[in-house]
Amino acid sequence: MKKVITALMVIVLVSALFTGCGGKVKESSTDNGNASVGNTSNDQIKEFTAFFDRQGIELNKENTIQQLIAEKIGAKCKETWLTGQSAEEAVGMLIASDEYPDFINWTPELQDAGALVAIDEQLDKYPNIKNFWSESQWNSLKQEDGHIYSIPQFGNINEKLMDTQQNGEAFWIQTRVLKWAGYPEIESLDQLFDLLNRYYEANPTMPDGSSVIPFEILAYDWYYFCLENPPQFLDGWPNNGRCIVDPKTFEVIDYNTTPTAERYFKKLNEEYRKGIIDPEFMTMSHDQFLEKISSGRVLCMVEQYWDFRTAEDSIKAQNLEGCTYIPLGITIEPGMKEMYFTANEAAVLSGGLSITKSCEDVEGALQFVNDLLDPEIITLRSWGIEGVDYLVDDDGLYYRTKEMRDNAVKSEYKASHLSTYSYFPNFIGMNPDGKNAMTPETQPSEFFNGLKPEVQECLQAYGAETYVDMLDYNEIDGQEEPWYPIHSFVGEMTTQTPGGLAWTRMEETKHEYLTQVVIAEDFDAAWDQYMKAYQSCKPEDFLAEVQEAVYHRIELVQGRNVRPAK
Amino acid sequence: MRATNRSHIKIHKKFDLKNFIYSFVIGLVLTAFIIVTLYPILNTLAVSFNDALDALRGGIYLWPRKWSLNNYYTVLHKESMMTGLSISVLRTVVGTILQLFVTALIAFVLSRKKFVFAKPISILYVLTMYVNGGLIPTFLLFKSLGFMNSFWVYVIPGMVSAFNMLVIRTYMNGLPDSLEESAMMDGAGYFKVFTRIIVPLCKPVFATIALFIAVGQWNSWFDTMLYNRMADSLTTLQYELMKLLSSVSQLSGDANTAALTGSSSQVTTKSVRAAATILTSLPIVVLYPFLQRYFVTGLTIGGVKE
Amino acid sequence: MAGIKRVKAERVKDVKVKITLKEIIKQKELIVLSLPFVLYVILFNYVPLAGWIMAFQQYKPKDGFWGSKFVGMDKFKFLFVNNADFIRVIRNTLAMGIINLVLSFVFAIGFALILNEVVHKGPKKLVQTVSYLPHFLSWIIVCGILQDVLSIDGGIINEILVKLHILDAPVNFFAFKGLFWWIVGFAHVWKETGWNSIIYLAAITAINPDLYEAASIDGAGRLRKMWNITLPGIKPTIFILLLMNIGNVLNSGFEIQYLLTNGLVQSVSQTIDIYVLKYGISQMDYSLGTAAGIFKSVVSIILIFLANSAAKRAGEERLF
Repeated sequence: MKKVITALMVIVLVSALFTGCGGKVKESSTDNGNASVGNTSNDQIKEFTAFFDRQGIELNKENTIQQLIAEKIGAKCKETWLTGQSAEEAVGMLIASDEYPDFINWTPELQDAGALVAIDEQLDKYPNIKNFWSESQWNSLKQEDGHIYSIPQFGNINEKLMDTQQNGEAFWIQTRVLKWAGYPEIESLDQLFDLLNRYYEANPTMPDGSSVIPFEILAYDWYYFCLENPPQFLDGWPNNGRCIVDPKTFEVIDYNTTPTAERYFKKLNEEYRKGIIDPEFMTMSHDQFLEKISSGRVLCMVEQYWDFRTAEDSIKAQNLEGCTYIPLGITIEPGMKEMYFTANEAAVLSGGLSITKSCEDVEGALQFVNDLLDPEIITLRSWGIEGVDYLVDDDGLYYRTKEMRDNAVKSEYKASHLSTYSYFPNFIGMNPDGKNAMTPETQPSEFFNGLKPEVQECLQAYGAETYVDMLDYNEIDGQEEPWYPIHSFVGEMTTQTPGGLAWTRMEETKHEYLTQVVIAEDFDAAWDQYMKAYQSCKPEDFLAEVQEAVYHRIELVQGRNVRPAK
Repeated sequence: MRATNRSHIKIHKKFDLKNFIYSFVIGLVLTAFIIVTLYPILNTLAVSFNDALDALRGGIYLWPRKWSLNNYYTVLHKESMMTGLSISVLRTVVGTILQLFVTALIAFVLSRKKFVFAKPISILYVLTMYVNGGLIPTFLLFKSLGFMNSFWVYVIPGMVSAFNMLVIRTYMNGLPDSLEESAMMDGAGYFKVFTRIIVPLCKPVFATIALFIAVGQWNSWFDTMLYNRMADSLTTLQYELMKLLSSVSQLSGDANTAALTGSSSQVTTKSVRAAATILTSLPIVVLYPFLQRYFVTGLTIGGVKE
Repeated sequence: MAGIKRVKAERVKDVKVKITLKEIIKQKELIVLSLPFVLYVILFNYVPLAGWIMAFQQYKPKDGFWGSKFVGMDKFKFLFVNNADFIRVIRNTLAMGIINLVLSFVFAIGFALILNEVVHKGPKKLVQTVSYLPHFLSWIIVCGILQDVLSIDGGIINEILVKLHILDAPVNFFAFKGLFWWIVGFAHVWKETGWNSIIYLAAITAINPDLYEAASIDGAGRLRKMWNITLPGIKPTIFILLLMNIGNVLNSGFEIQYLLTNGLVQSVSQTIDIYVLKYGISQMDYSLGTAAGIFKSVVSIILIFLANSAAKRAGEERLF
């Protein structure tokens, strides 16, 4: 026993020696060089820290581009991401401990806790940041004390939108179905299901004998938006999320209870009973959903592209003929204007990148953000290193070889080489050079080279060149419709208010009842039951709070009070 | 095991039909059980060796469809994995020894039937299994105790688990009091009784609890995330894997932001998760047969006494 | 030797010693040995309970425990007054807790007993090693496999049942409210039986081999020996684990229910922890979670005190 105790002591002591000096010493240079873009030697590089309450890829310490950027601007930032906790928990812990990283993603709680540093008075010194948003957009960010605490990172369109891919929602249909029918115009829900029925009757199985799934609905966990939100699109509204806002009357409308919603779910119910919809959709997990898409058996679905992109990659890798997807802007009646795709720059901004009170060098931090918006650095962040990650042709257009494209999606390459600083401010649209797109994905030539022949054929049949061309093109003017998108407000609601509580209850109820409505033997009875349960959640409380938020945003941007006189 | 072994050799020397049927039924039940429990392991193994994009299609059961070592490469290429591995080994070794020793000692004290405070102290420990101050108060306490950015947060806070203590105590309760009495008669103190008499008799239960503690230490990552997030030199293997897995998982929960940033779901989720699982359970799987030895030796020593 | 003692004297003798100064002096070594542990457990397990004050506040991290606004019993009222949802959630939690408790005990003990009957060392070790491996798989992986296996779209269970003509057509197991609790229960059995049996296997090693020999001479068969010697031999371990787990029936889980649920079975799948996540934590309301936690703790403590005194009356091994 003595031996064991002695051994224990030794181990404890040794480990203490090993780890006693474990605490990280923050590299910080006293020499506050006015680092604009230039070359800085390694020992002068400032190192900031950042925590983002999102999931992301943690970079290697010796990341090539991060190091290159650091040498050019004299600073870098260690980004950490959410791991195994919810965003609320992680931020709550930071507030409780009152110690923060230098940069953080803005939340109302951090603001409320006084954890953030006001930046408005210093903006003039940092032109890249200052010019990133317009005067009125900056104004919309003012907190109650009149100061600005955050720099929104996303949605800033440089010159024009270059989108080639519909990243958001649409009815996605396999090219083989359209080809089989001779590329007809499909506009309405009825036309779509009619086509699916006919195709399925003629082609019930895949070449390998497995059965075809004509229509798929993802209803798992929070992905159930695929089931619940189409009524807003079917009526021709844009994706405000959570509810419709009428741009003429400014009225907030609940899309869950519209006649279109009832018609849509009734249609789904009919099709389910006919066997057109996957009999397993209501219990399927997200993984199972991706499996089904990847197998090429699913003819059509409503989804947002980013969520099934990997599954489509798998289809491409397997060379399943005609199984890649094309977006359709389906409406409830034919000939309606639809708004699945919108180009907009929000007038009312919220959230963004904040600097915390734990940051010892606020000026350095702002300088860092400012330098990250330098054209040269922007290209490094989004395209990588010339000659390594992309090539330039005689016209100055960037392009990539297949190997480069493959590299860019490998996670080990992302960790060791690429450094996008994805949660720091960045543009979309055009590169500052005015020739190229901001990112490789939106570069037109890059896009065309990546298309499969079947997709090219299909697009051409509809006179389109990109996926976006398949849909109506809509621009939403932030000045005219400053509330858009209103989901940025709903996302900040909590159960502390009647409206927020109602919202949580509505979500629960919809999640529970909507699948039942679709599979019910007696649709009308099921719908009545659903509506009863839904109304007991007091959706009016929710709508009232959102309505007030819409009025508030109009007042903020246009300076007029549009509340109806009482 | 040896007990039944011995008795059967002695008594049932000739073929015995009843005994044969009995063994046959047991063999059948266990075989069925093994098939059922082996399936998830083999499936995970197969998925981990399958090409990630191909695995997305599903339909992989016991054998990879398209072989690939890429998933393992993805898990292992990270530079911080080596630091993580060494800290994980260190915390498992130090933590297991320390916790086992301390837990055994308190179990010993509480198993003394004459000890006047045995009951109140037992209650104090038992209740810890059911009450919990919550994440934030615990975090604030540990912070004020200086456990931030420190190795000690891995081994000190969980030093005594009531569950392990009770299992050991139950075992010790089963040991005859006469052992303690005769030793005390010879002038030994309680500590000596513990080290000289009780410890050698408790090897099987110690091996069991050591396994529980070691698995707990090896698998834990939450403490690393809470307290040593910014201390690169104190990271653990499981935490590094968690970071990797959450960077490829898709529970971000906000469709609108996801659409806005264009963050697509990553290719590797399922297969990389499988590879990470296989890699982290390997060391424990190797450790177990080593501990199994003690299940037998404990008996021999026990059998000699009394 | 331990075995003999238990088999002979079925009831654990209760040694009552009065707390007197003399006793305390006599036991000073034990007291000195236990003192650091008492301080330790108070510091690490009881000091953080000060956080329970949150349940009576509208806790905000920035205001801390002393600055947050007191709201009295509001959080408890939210949970218990006119909240049919929460009552249903308690029912679900309790039902799954009890099912898990019973299934995991029956299977782990049964498995340990059967494994103990294997005479050959090699197969025995192999079986045991294989049996506890699923413990290392995370719920995400286990649930993924479970969903594949039970799928109507080529899931192996449905295919077998249809081939054996037990079912006419594949059944969507996850669509039935009546099945959900049992799926969760058997998923636990699948994942944890081997692991849970380790404790019992260790306890079996403490049984005196002489007992088996004596029984054999008396002509007892293997089944009889299992029933009369092995099972009584591990009875104290069974009891202590049973007592501990009775206190845990309200902790029937979060992850597995969260991963396996869907709209159709939501009304039977939601547990207290999931409810608290939805209405509390994901809304930055820590107070609600703390209130639910206090409720669970109180129920657990009542349960183990009841169970413990029942064990005492029955003369079985107990917690304190």
